[in-house]
This record gives sequence, structure tokens and C-alpha cells, in this order.
Amino acid sequence: MSQTPEIQLSASLEDYLEAIFRIVQEKPAARAKDISKRLEVGRSSVTGALHALADRELINYSPYDLITLTDKGKAVAADVVRRHEVLRDFFVRVLAVDEPEADSAACKMEHAIPEVILDRFIEFVDFVERCPRGGTKWIKGFGYYCDNDKKTGNCEKCVGLVLEEVRSRKVTKATETQAMVTLVTLKPGEKAAIVKISGKDGIRRRLLDMGATTGTLVEVERVAPLGDPIEIKIKGYHLTLRKEEAERITVELSGEQPIERA
Amino acid sequence: MTNHLRQPKPTGPSSAGKRITVALAGNPNSGKTTIFNALTGGRQHVGNYPGVTVEKKEGQCRHGRTPLRILDLPGTYSLTAYSIEERVARDVLIHDQPDVVIDILDASNLERNLYLAVQIMELGRPLVLVMNMSDVARQRGLEFDLDLLSRLLGVPIVSTIGHKGIGLRELLDTAVEAGERGPIGLPRQIDYGPEIETEIANLQRIIEQAGVALNGIPARWFAVKLLEGDPELHRQVNHEAVIEAAGRSARQLESILGDSPEALIADRRYGHISGACQQAVRSTVELRHTLSDHIDAVATHRVLGLPIFLGLMYAVFHLTFTLGGPPMAWIEAGFDWLAQTLNGLWPEGADGPLRSLLIDGVIGGVSGVLVFLPNILLLFLAIAILEDSGYMARAAFLMDRLMYKIGLHGKSFVPMLIGFGCSVPAIMATRTLENRRDRLTTMLVLPLMSCGARLPIYALIIPAFFPRNWHAPMLWIIYLIGILLAVICAKLLKKTLLRGETPPFVMELPPYRMPTLKSVGLHMWNRGGAYLKKAGTIILGISIVLWALQQWPSLPEEQAQAFARQREQIEVMSDLPSAVKNEALVALNYAEAKAALEASLMGRIGRGLEPILRPCGFDWKIATAMVGAFAAKEVFVVQMGIVYALGEAEDEDSEPLRDRLRADYTPLQGFCIMLFCLISAPCMATIAITRRESNSWRWALFQLGGLTALAWVVTTVVYQVGRLVS
Repeated sequence: MSQTPEIQLSASLEDYLEAIFRIVQEKPAARAKDISKRLEVGRSSVTGALHALADRELINYSPYDLITLTDKGKAVAADVVRRHEVLRDFFVRVLAVDEPEADSAACKMEHAIPEVILDRFIEFVDFVERCPRGGTKWIKGFGYYCDNDKKTGNCEKCVGLVLEEVRSRKVTKATETQAMVTLVTLKPGEKAAIVKISGKDGIRRRLLDMGATTGTLVEVERVAPLGDPIEIKIKGYHLTLRKEEAERITVELSGEQPIERA
Repeated sequence: MTNHLRQPKPTGPSSAGKRITVALAGNPNSGKTTIFNALTGGRQHVGNYPGVTVEKKEGQCRHGRTPLRILDLPGTYSLTAYSIEERVARDVLIHDQPDVVIDILDASNLERNLYLAVQIMELGRPLVLVMNMSDVARQRGLEFDLDLLSRLLGVPIVSTIGHKGIGLRELLDTAVEAGERGPIGLPRQIDYGPEIETEIANLQRIIEQAGVALNGIPARWFAVKLLEGDPELHRQVNHEAVIEAAGRSARQLESILGDSPEALIADRRYGHISGACQQAVRSTVELRHTLSDHIDAVATHRVLGLPIFLGLMYAVFHLTFTLGGPPMAWIEAGFDWLAQTLNGLWPEGADGPLRSLLIDGVIGGVSGVLVFLPNILLLFLAIAILEDSGYMARAAFLMDRLMYKIGLHGKSFVPMLIGFGCSVPAIMATRTLENRRDRLTTMLVLPLMSCGARLPIYALIIPAFFPRNWHAPMLWIIYLIGILLAVICAKLLKKTLLRGETPPFVMELPPYRMPTLKSVGLHMWNRGGAYLKKAGTIILGISIVLWALQQWPSLPEEQAQAFARQREQIEVMSDLPSAVKNEALVALNYAEAKAALEASLMGRIGRGLEPILRPCGFDWKIATAMVGAFAAKEVFVVQMGIVYALGEAEDEDSEPLRDRLRADYTPLQGFCIMLFCLISAPCMATIAITRRESNSWRWALFQLGGLTALAWVVTTVVYQVGRLVS
């Protein structure tokens, strides 16, 4: 896990930081107006909070100028966002709460939850989903239990299903052995199919626009003499991108060299 | 076809039909410019879109009796508005409402090119697709069933070979017909699949209710774009209920389909295109390696790539500055001749300010503008060839690692290199950079690349103060300091004033192509014209101001009379040999020139600057010469000659001048002069061209002020520390 700089922030300041983080993901820089809109608070409270954040060197801010996060601010904000997402996931996936409700609860709880417990939440979700005695169906059962007046259904049938699931998992495991790697690890001449592109900014958008959609085959052609960027072939044409951009593209290596689609 | 050479908006002849506005869209490298040039020839107008540095090209042509106005949109891959080019292209399509859109497709790269086409289709404007470079595609073994493809996509398709002008007549027929018919209801739509379609229909209803759709753009288009999370459109729509609904729909889709809507929508679009292509395009031969691939195997080779690149860069540099040298000398000689001829025509004794204004101010100024023209034309000849052939993208590929370390783009390398010759064409060359912040940063630090005009200063100073075996290292040190400062400044600018999200490097390496004479010629012509029109006027204006500063106020009456008396005294001394007499007269003239300069505003400014420049180790003489050097860096040497009463004819090899310098200054001061000339205020032509290329006086003045301040700080530190040490 990433190390969090030791900074004590109030819950509301964390909310502000999170809001800026999310706005900056959507556009290059945030304005006080965007923040007050997103958090539904007055402009004056925004200004106050921005000064407080700037004092702690978490954001770059001067009145009437664009707001951006400092490196420190990014780290802190990313941590808040992570806590938020872990909690929301837990509420949605384990506790079967509706997404908007989970979101707003996560928003309130994210500020107080210690790191140790958060990690346990993640491990628990993971465990429940993996363990045959739990599993996704078991969690769905919990949702059913809550929604239907705490009725328990057919327990024998349910336990029987567990074994079935263990068997079916073995099969999927086998097909999943094909390696998922990032594009940057491929050597010249190697081919792979795109699985996903992470991030939510202009780079991903540009790649999608240029045809790097899921399932598209890419072949690494060469690396520039200075070691970066790389050249790839996609949809029959040549594209160059920096390694740090290629790192964001998850690809699936295929055993055989597949025939390119026309 | 004779008409309206420079009229951007001629009024259509009354007898002919209504004028049709055509927008040319297409991917970069799709041959769009070639078709634009073929259609409009010289009747094009190059400007800027307001507020941005994106070039706006517009031209006229006629088809039968219909006059056409042709807008060349910036080349884009999509209409998402993530880059300025895309936003400009989209704004023109939405706000200018062209009667017909022509989308140019590179036939050998059809799928990606159609991605833009399907987005234009969704906008609902009449559209004609152009299958360009169909000959190349055929060579690669691709066969097209155009009728079928046209039916599948629901738009007319014309096949052309742009650089040979084949198919253009048919293209105009189709475009005029489509334009006259007007929009014919909704075009064929992409089916985004049940989940997404449900959300689109839902959003479409909300948008229609809210009434935020505008300009006859289908609500469906808004719905799709909002689902894609288009930030620009979110701003434009600015309707809470709609934005909220869009956010809800997007989250909903993400949870059902497990990927973000923008990825899903891009997927479906490509799926749709791929489906159509599978039916209508047949690949007859499997061509693994094209000629272009073979060239790249050498041109971007691990070992050979860099030497080839450096060789080509040397050739560009050589072409620009060595070949540009003689024409520059001709221009200068021509204007000298003109000045002398005019001087001779002037009635004897009528030595008025008008004569000086005309000869020194105006003719000197015009010559100062035109003298850059050979460099600019030759450089853009080279750049046009590099860009049109496709090599420029490879240059960026090869150099990006180095330039990215400074926070710049691989394409910044070429302008930086040209900067060692002259900053003016180099700043114009930053046009190859697409991102505004990269472009501004490059432009602002470019003058730190020590240009050729500073060389005479170094050539004067270095031998004057340093022993022979130190000459070469000294020159290297100066150049390296410039490069180092440029790197530091670029990094600093990118961290402060010009910070922001790093734009994607992701860039197409287009197939190599033979540049056409016409396109290269037009490129040169447009650049040269733009320089003369926009920067030329500023340069001329400043050089007249500088002339006036040097001219006024003239020598006080009593001093002028004193010189005149002395002259008479020498003349009447009949016992002197004429050679000695002449020498004395010349010396007297030089002394008068010196006195005149001291009396002029420029001399006074120089004196006024002395206290400010004293920490750098400079006295009023150097200060005055520096002020004069704003006209052009090499003028510094001439000004020093005048200040030392050695006459204007002193050049960088002048031993008398070096002797005087040695007598007055220490080597440390000599070094400081070079340092200050390297860093400080670039010449006025640079400022003028920065103003023109950045489209703002603020950046030009920032460059002027920033670099001068930097020069002062650096030189002061060096001088003061140097003095303490020695």
C-alpha cells in the first residue's frame, strides 16, 4: 500500500481534497466554482478550506487562479479516495446496499477508518469471494435474507451448490493462466490483445479513439534508440507511445500468434 | 478561374447559385491538405482561430456556377474535444453549420479513418466521404465495394487520388448536390447495443425536455457525448438535471457492463465500422511489409537511427543558413545600393531628418525585415518536406526521450536546433507542436539557444581577453550555458506558468510519402507571407523607433559648430599631406558620431541604465551598445565601434577595438558581456515573431522581460563572485 504522509486533516478538509482530486481527473484544473457545486457548499466556505489546504501545501492555490494538487496533495487525496472506494465496494458487494446509499455512507465513514481495519475490509471481501464456503452466491443469499424478512431457504441445496462452484472454478482457473501483462513488458515482435486501459484522462481517450479498444491486437514493432518511446502496430497502422503510457494498457498474451483480423 | 485573390469572403456573383460552405474534415495524414490545395490553389487564406494557436485555413473555388467556400478543419482522429484541434473542428461543425461536410479517408487505413466519419454522421450534417489515396490502397491489395460501403454507412462515397487531382470533379458534383439538398433527416445510426441504447433514449428524452439541444444538432448526439463524459459538453450544456441524469446513466452502465461508457461506446463504434468493412473491403494479398516498413527499419534503427537523424538535421541547418547566406547578402547589398542611390539623389546640403528617416530608418528597417526571408523560406521548405514525407513523426520518436526529460515533446527538438541559427524561423517552426503549453514553452526558451547573430560578439570578445588555446573552450562554455539555462527555464515554466496535464504522446507514424511540389511550395508561400504581414510590420515599426532614439536629440548646436570649425581648420592647413589630412578628418567624423550617439536618447538611456547594469560589471558604453543591440544582436559590435570613436565600420575582427576593450575591461567583464548578450532581451525580430506565433503581446513581453531579468541575475552573480575570487 502506498505510504500516506502523516497529515491530520479534518473530515471536511478531506472531502474538499477528494472533490478537487475528482475534478482534476475530469479536467486539467479545478476552480472554486466547481468545488462549491460538487460539495453543495457556499463559495466562502470553499475559499476558507482552500486556504487551509494550501497552508498544508496540499494544493496550489491563489485567489481567482486554477487549483491543482501538489504531489503531497495527490498522495493524500488518493488515499482518501481509496478508503472511500474500499468502503463503498464492501457495502455494495458484501452488504448488498444500493450504490448511491453506499456512496454516501462511505463518504461519511472514510474519514475515521484506520488503515488496519481498511486492509481487513479488503481482505475480507477478497476472502468471501474466493472461499467456497462463502462465494458470490453466498453473498447474494445474504441480500435475499435481508430483503425477505430474514427467511432462510433450502440449506442443503445451497451447501450442495458449493461443491459445484469449487469444480467450476477449477475450469476457469485453467483458462485464466494466459498472462495478463502491461504492454510495456512486450518485446519487439510480440503480439497481444488489449484487455483494458487504466486511468480516465486524455491519454486513454486518445488511445480509444485511435482504435485501442478491448480485444484489439497490438504488436510491438520496436523501441526508440534512446529506450523510450515504443512503436506498435495496431489495426494495420503504426503508433508510437511513451512507456509510461504503454504501462497503462493491460494486454493478454496469446500463446500462438493469432491471425490478424481484416 | 480568375478572381478574388485575397478576399476571404467574396460576395457570390448574382447570376450563380447560392454559395455553399464546405467543411473539410479528416484524420491527420489523410491527404486532407493535398485535396484542399488542389481545390483552392492559391486562393486560400491562412489565419488563426480566435484565442487559440490552431491554424485556420479557408479558401474559395467554383464548381460550375456555384461558388464554394471551403473551410479546412484541423486534422483530428475524433470529435471528443480533448485536444484543441478537436474542439475547434467540432465548434466549426456545430456553430458554423457548413452546408456539407467532406470527410477525407485514407483508404489504406480505413477503419480508423471511419471512426471520425461515424461521429460526424451523428451530428446530422450532410456528409460526403472521400476514399483518398485509393491507388496506394489498391497496391496494398485492398479492394473496395464502394456502393456497398456507401449503402451500409448511408452516405455517398467518392474515390479520389488527391495528389494527381483524380476524382475531384466528381467529389464537387456530389458535395454540391448534397449541400443543395440540405439535411435529409437523421443519418444511419450506430446501434450501441440494448443497454447503452436504453440509456441513450432515456437521456435523449431528458435533453429534449430540458431544451438544451442547440443549432439543429440531434439530441441523440448530445446524449452519446454526455455518456462518454465529454468535459467540454458538460460545461456547455450546464443544465443540472441533464448532467445528473448523464452521470447516473454512466454509473449504471459501468456497473452492468463492467467498463466505462467511453470505452464501451468506442468499442461499439469500431465494431460497427469493422462490420461494414468486413463486407465491403476485401484484402487480396497479405502484405506483411510495405516499402514504408522497410524505410523505417533503417530510419528508426537502434544504431543507425540517430546518426541518420543527426545527418538530416545537419542538412536542414546547412540548407537554411548556408544556402540562405548569399540571398541574405544580396538583399543587404541591394538595400545598401538603394540607400546610396537615394542619398545621391538628395539635393546637396539639404541634410534634413527626412533624408535620415528614409535612408536609415525606413530602408534600414525594410531590409531588416526582408533579410530573414531567405532563412524562413528555406527552413519551411525543409520542414514541409520533413512533415509531408512523414519523417517529422520519426524525428519526434527518436528524440522524445531526451526532450521529455525537460518536460517537452520530441517535436521540440527541431525548432531548438534551428534556434542555433536564428530564433525567428525557429519560433515559427514551433508550429509543428500541437500542444499549446509545449509550444509556448519551446518558444519562450528558444532565444537561449545561442543564435548566429551573437557569434560576432563572441568573435570580438574572446580573442580580446583570452589566450589562443582558450578560444574554442570559451565558445563551447557560452553555448553550453545557453542550453543549460534553456533546460532549466523549460522545466521551471512547465512546473509553474504552463503546468497542466501532460498531453498524450500517442502519435501516428504515418507511412512515408513523396511530398508534392505544390504542397511544399504553398507551405513556404504561406509561411513567408504570414511572416511579412504579421511580424514584418512590427519589426519595421520597432526599427524606426530605434532609429529615432539614435537620431534625437541631435548634437547641441555649439558642439556641432565646434566640430565644423575643427573640420575647417584641418581643411585650411595646406602644408599637410592629403593622406594625413584625410586621416584627421575621418577621426574627427568618428569623434562626432560618438558625441552624437552620446547626446541622443539612446545614449542617454545607456547612461541611465548604467547604475542598474553596474552590478553586472558594465559601464555606460556597454549599456548603450546593448540598447542598440535590441535591433539585432550583431549591432552590438558596430555600436561599440561608435562608442569608441572608431567609426561604424568596425567588425568583429577589429584589432583596434579589441585593444580599447582590453584597456578598459577585465577578462571577467568580457565574459560577462558575452553572458549578458547570450541571455538578455532577444532581438526585436524575435519579440515580434513571438507576439505573432503566441497570438499575444503578453507572452512576447514576458519573454523580453523574463530573459532580461534572468540575464541580469546570472551576470551579476558571475561578476560579483568572480571579483571576490580573483
